[in-house]
Amino acid sequence: MKYIIKIILLTSVLFGQSGYEIAEMVFNRPAPSDMINKIKMTLTNSKGKTRESIMQSKSMDNNKKQIIWFLEPKDDRGVSFLKIERDGLNDDMRMWLPAFKRTRRISAKRKGDAFMGSDLSFEDLSNRELSDYQYRRLDDEEWKNIDCYVLEIFPKKETRSNYEKHFSWISKSDFIILKEHSFNKKGELAKQKEFFYHRIGTFNILNQVNIKNLINKHGTKVVFSDIEINSGLDKNLFHERNLKRIPNH
Amino acid sequence: MSSSPNDSKMTKWLINQSINHPKKIITISIVFTILMGFGIQFLIVEDDMTKMLPSEMDSKKTWEAVQNEFGSTEVIFIAFGNAGESSFNTKNLHDLSILTDTLKTSGVVHNITNISTATRIDQVDGFLEISDLQPHRILEDHDIINMKSYLDENIDLKKQLISKKEDYLVTVIQPRKNVSLDVFRNVIVDLTRPILNDYDVHYGGTAFVTGSIPKLIRYDVKFLIMIGLVIMVGILFINLRNLKAVSMILLVIAFSLISMMGFMGWAYYLTGFDCFLFALLNTSMPIILLTIANSDGVHVISKFIREMRKIQNVKDSIRSSMDVLLLPIFLTSITTIAAFLTLLSSPLEPLVGYGLCMSFGIGCAWFFSSLMLPSLISIVHWDINDKSINMEGPFEKILKHMSKLVTNYPRHIFISGIFLLSLGVSGILNVNVDVNVASFFKRGTEIRDSMDFMDEQMSGTMDLRLRVMGDLKDPILLKKIDSLQTYLNENKKVNVSYSIINVIKQMHKTVMDNSSKYKIIPNEREKINNLFTMYSMSGNPEDLSSMIDYDFNTGLITSISSLMSTEEVYLFVEAVNKYIDFNFKNSADKLSVTGMIVVIRDMVELLLKSSLFSIFISVIIIGLITALFFKRFIWGVFSIVPLLFAIILNFGLMGHFNITLNHVTAILSSIIIGVGVDFAIHYISQFQRCSNITKNNHLSSEVIKDVGYPIILDASSNMGFGALVFSAFIPVQYIGGLMIFAMLSTSLGTLILLSSSLELFRKHLPAQE
Repeated sequence: MKYIIKIILLTSVLFGQSGYEIAEMVFNRPAPSDMINKIKMTLTNSKGKTRESIMQSKSMDNNKKQIIWFLEPKDDRGVSFLKIERDGLNDDMRMWLPAFKRTRRISAKRKGDAFMGSDLSFEDLSNRELSDYQYRRLDDEEWKNIDCYVLEIFPKKETRSNYEKHFSWISKSDFIILKEHSFNKKGELAKQKEFFYHRIGTFNILNQVNIKNLINKHGTKVVFSDIEINSGLDKNLFHERNLKRIPNH
Repeated sequence: MSSSPNDSKMTKWLINQSINHPKKIITISIVFTILMGFGIQFLIVEDDMTKMLPSEMDSKKTWEAVQNEFGSTEVIFIAFGNAGESSFNTKNLHDLSILTDTLKTSGVVHNITNISTATRIDQVDGFLEISDLQPHRILEDHDIINMKSYLDENIDLKKQLISKKEDYLVTVIQPRKNVSLDVFRNVIVDLTRPILNDYDVHYGGTAFVTGSIPKLIRYDVKFLIMIGLVIMVGILFINLRNLKAVSMILLVIAFSLISMMGFMGWAYYLTGFDCFLFALLNTSMPIILLTIANSDGVHVISKFIREMRKIQNVKDSIRSSMDVLLLPIFLTSITTIAAFLTLLSSPLEPLVGYGLCMSFGIGCAWFFSSLMLPSLISIVHWDINDKSINMEGPFEKILKHMSKLVTNYPRHIFISGIFLLSLGVSGILNVNVDVNVASFFKRGTEIRDSMDFMDEQMSGTMDLRLRVMGDLKDPILLKKIDSLQTYLNENKKVNVSYSIINVIKQMHKTVMDNSSKYKIIPNEREKINNLFTMYSMSGNPEDLSSMIDYDFNTGLITSISSLMSTEEVYLFVEAVNKYIDFNFKNSADKLSVTGMIVVIRDMVELLLKSSLFSIFISVIIIGLITALFFKRFIWGVFSIVPLLFAIILNFGLMGHFNITLNHVTAILSSIIIGVGVDFAIHYISQFQRCSNITKNNHLSSEVIKDVGYPIILDASSNMGFGALVFSAFIPVQYIGGLMIFAMLSTSLGTLILLSSSLELFRKHLPAQE
């Protein structure tokens, strides 16, 4: 038995990790318990027209719980949004509509729908469950002078997804995704995403995402600023009563 | 005429060349035709009718702006199902879903609207849910019941997606930008057929009809032209009774046609100008050139045969014939060329190419009939004892009687001509314009039946669009648009209209706990904004992109109606514009009505104006050229008499018989000018010539006997193209009928009105030299 384990370890060292193992490393990468940030989202349509929104976000459990207040544009100020991801169930999403003075639950049935008209769908925003996908390791590549693993990621048959597959470029040193190409069900390259990080303490924190939608020639740039981590957010913050008032920061 | 150009050195040299060096002339003609013929490979058939629309037209600009903002406004409607069987069943909805996915991959589709792509906005257990109306490809019974009850509650949506009896599912397909409608139509039909094999399928919509028409008309016309040619050859053969003579006329026609089409190909190859693309309008070019070349050939051959009967020597007969005919054929050619060149001022690009190519073709027809034809005649053996030369043909005998009538009763004939003319004038005022391509099809044809079916069973296939510019989050403007939609729906033919208003009202109702009293536009801007934001969080804002632009500054109202005639479109658009002027007069918001039907309506108006201008200028130029050549102004006036007679009579006839003017029939004036001027010039030329050698009492009789025969032979053989009345397309049928009438009116205009006028005014005419 010992002999067999030795062989497996030796093979692993000689031939590197499997796709699944790399994905597991990414999935299990240490993350802060909570985060506060400002989100500036710039949308550019195929005619070059842009639309900008600024939001205040608080999240915990690796974004599984998130509350967002809209600050700009003026028309949207006061609108807020609460999302709680629930394992094996549809996400709970609620929205505060200040003009109607009503909270409305909204459905996440159409996971492929764009979030706020951006090129990020709810599926893109949700955390991928490691076990929902299959992984195939491709030849390693260098991207922007960083050595990367390249994974081909397929949703399993039973997984609800709007994508056929993704190609992800993962930094070998940090196990963070630097670049991803997503293919729609027709097999067309639909989105190209680039991720930028900066280091806060021991964490690599995402501070910018650029998405190019190749199907509708639309682009989205999301910049995260004023980032605070591990500030001890209260679980009770993620309740619909807190949607009505924009926090001071 | 003073020093007769017939006797000029140039004339003699040309006649000598063709008679003394026939092989050289024939070789030049063949080589020239082959060279030009090579150009046919570069000829590009352009079936995209939108390319012929002039870019400077206001309605075209609005239309283009709408297309840039919202994609193409012209769509294809597909309805499939089985009559009497509910389409709310698993199989039909499954096939609809497959159809949608297949169309999405076609590369020509921008947007698809049907049950499988529609969304529903619900309030479910406190959830605001924007979800797919058809949640899965294979539906359970409860899914179908749920879908049906949602549609029953949302009648406007239901009208767009399913037939009145619920037996046909409707799919509306919007093409991608820059995809021509003919390509779009063909791809959609090819992809749809195998999927919908088990169903009764109907197609409709401007994109479908517009995309179908050019190819269908071309095939139809091609076939009927062949029949016309057979009839033409038959009539020529019955009268000429000589295969060689008929073959030579056909050779002139064939060489002229090859040269013209080749020229068009070369011109496009060398310049790349779109005006040299062979579009729908150009379909009449071969017919017109055919009639002109036939006319030239018939004049030469019939004159030659008559001369042979007298002189009995081939070379002398052809020399004598060309002495008489070279000038009039040259004159008819340059006057017709001048008439066609007036099209260069047309705002419609295809007409510019039309004018240039026709002019080239007419020049070729002149060359082949005046030089190549005499050469051919001179090298072929003619049997002097043959019946065709010895004996008069049927038309010649008829002409003999006719010539007596003109000489004996000129006043009666003149008055009857004037009576016909006044009949024409009274009819012109009733000429209507109808450019709706749907009305091109007879009832009973597949396309027309499909469209009628969609009109009766569904919401129709005719779409008009209103572009709204303003702040589309402003409740005051939105309420005005809501009222405008109500006004649109009041029109009996409009079955449904929709815009962003429908979405806002539905969302408002849903947010307010599904209470129907909130199916209205909210009073506050903030609420409208909240609704849009909510949609962007829950649905896909792309869903709204066909109704509102990115900045919420431009919106699109679509009204779907049953088939309207152009007159009805005029009245509808006028009424809507009045409504807009009255209700939006104090606001900065701008509204404009558009859609392909509006653009084509404006285009035909432009086409008619340019045709009228072209007719007016052509007639003046023809009169001036004739006056110049015959050196008397009065001859110029007489030369245009049959032309005006024919034009007035034809358009008058259209008015009396309710034949509508459109982009196909408007070209008729060119045929009349092309053929009519030939007859007049030949008559005048012969009248002058005979006046020097014939006693005054028999002058008209001699002219009619001499020139009347080729005129009648030419006109009657061209009437073979009356075969076009058997076309499946109404405008082509009209062209066929009018072609017969044009031949009658131009020949009778010459042989009745011109001849009787000349007979009556003979004493007042300037002395002949």
